[in-house]
Amino acid sequence: MNMAKTESMVGAGRGNAARPLAGRSREDILVGADGAGSALFLMAPALAVYAVFTLFPIAVTFWLSFTDSNGFNTDAGFVGLENYRKAAADPILWQSLWQTLLWLVYHVVLAGGLGLGLALAIARLRRSQVFFRTAFFLPHLVSLAVVGVIWANIYDPFFGLLNTSLAAIGLGGWTQGWLSDPSLVLFSVNVASSWQGFGLYMLLFIAGLQDIDPSLYDAAEVDGASAFQKLVYVTLPGLREVMTFVMSLAMINGLKGFATVFVMTNGGPFYQSELITTYIYRLAFQSQDHGLAAVLCILLSVLAITITVVFNKWRARLRR
Amino acid sequence: MTMHKREWPTVVALAPVLLLVLAPFAWLIVSSLKSEIEIGQADPLSLPANLMWRNYQDAWQIGGFSELIGNSFLNLAGVVALTLLTCTPAGYALSKIRFPGREWLFYAFILGLTIPIQAIVIPLYEVLTALGLVNSLSGIVLAQVSNGIPFGIFLMRSFFTNVPDELVEAAKVDGATHLQILTKVFLPISTPAVQALIIISALSTWNDFFLPLVVLISPQVQTLPLGLVRFAGTYSSEYRLVFSGTVISFLPIILLYILTQRRFTEGLTQGAIKG
Repeated sequence: MNMAKTESMVGAGRGNAARPLAGRSREDILVGADGAGSALFLMAPALAVYAVFTLFPIAVTFWLSFTDSNGFNTDAGFVGLENYRKAAADPILWQSLWQTLLWLVYHVVLAGGLGLGLALAIARLRRSQVFFRTAFFLPHLVSLAVVGVIWANIYDPFFGLLNTSLAAIGLGGWTQGWLSDPSLVLFSVNVASSWQGFGLYMLLFIAGLQDIDPSLYDAAEVDGASAFQKLVYVTLPGLREVMTFVMSLAMINGLKGFATVFVMTNGGPFYQSELITTYIYRLAFQSQDHGLAAVLCILLSVLAITITVVFNKWRARLRR
Repeated sequence: MTMHKREWPTVVALAPVLLLVLAPFAWLIVSSLKSEIEIGQADPLSLPANLMWRNYQDAWQIGGFSELIGNSFLNLAGVVALTLLTCTPAGYALSKIRFPGREWLFYAFILGLTIPIQAIVIPLYEVLTALGLVNSLSGIVLAQVSNGIPFGIFLMRSFFTNVPDELVEAAKVDGATHLQILTKVFLPISTPAVQALIIISALSTWNDFFLPLVVLISPQVQTLPLGLVRFAGTYSSEYRLVFSGTVISFLPIILLYILTQRRFTEGLTQGAIKG
């Protein structure tokens, strides 16, 4: 879009009477004497809210991790690294950290994998694409807390959809206490979360597939490539950027996972489905050990920042 | 034409997967219309002899769903309005005005975009207490707006960045202020970004559980997901009530989505990629 055209568009109907800034360079105008003032004015509402309800709490969390705070709005004394020592010696913390990492992997594989598989199938469709895309997306609209209530009933050992269906098709031997078996519970709850999560990843993959240059497929066709070769040499490389994006999104979403666990098992049995987030909630609002909780908060933040930075670097390298 | 011929095998392969994915909805809706005795027979494929619409009447009254849905709407309206009011001008300033400290602000917002809400909940609760905002919808609105601000700002910023600088320069030459440029020049062409921001903030607010769990203590101020969890916990032995209450909780948003699905999908996808 050239300058003259834009000006005539914007200035249309206003005439050219007032042109106080005419002749100044682009740099002058964007920096302008009024730059800082206008910026502050336009940013003020967002900054005010954000400073009070996000930035300040971030700073205080950091401070709390060095104190012996054991309740809301109480005086807390500085104890140095005591909470970090306590945290390192806390077996539940290590268990919840390990389970959180496992939870991420389950979510990326289950929800990311299903999203990718369905996107590959659906993107080829013409007439029925909208139908399938809409129908497969439905679970994503349900609040994770409501998903927790739904799946707690699906897993109900006696009346639940899963065990009664298995019995009905002659697989009665496969019925399980899905949420009471310590070795199954984390996976079972993750299935519920991933059922809710995959729809968004599917949409993102479909958008990525539609961005692949169709002429690449024509070229592969001319070269006599099979459907499988086209998938490996055209489709998957074309999806690399979306794939790293979905992976980081799925990992961050996994890290934030809370509601399904809280509703379905509350971390049990025997902390076997405890995540960092649910442990933070327990420490903050039940046992009120805020010093230790703050260490977990920092651990959670560090994990989130690491995932974000690593994937951003990776994506930047793919773009080059 | 060849596409259409080849479409059938894919459709046939997808149908059972779809059936599996949507089975929980079908099972819940069918079960919600059964009597307690029929649910107790534990036969997933059986249909109710009489449609028990009473389950819905009972759940609606006992669970106070009209109040919960009303609260959820107030919550959503507040968050969407404030998110637009705060993020649009901030996104404009970050993309079109050069000012000292811009880089610094940018990183401050990235920090909030990255850190999960659970990681700051203790001081956040203390701030809300100090301001007298615990157990109130205004408190939850402010906390959620703040939590969504980084995403909203980056979404608007990346949309505005693609608008040519010449548009700003030309308007400046005509003597317009930045606020005028934003409202008269940028907003009219920003419908896709605004739409994406509305859809994403509305959906995440409607479905939020963690902040309401922490902030909204009495049942009269609670939102739908939190209210349903409380209801399902209280009446856990009355399956007909839990099932119909659950259907009440997910049906409205699903119907709304089916009615607006094209815009919804576009907004969500574009928003997620840009933001």
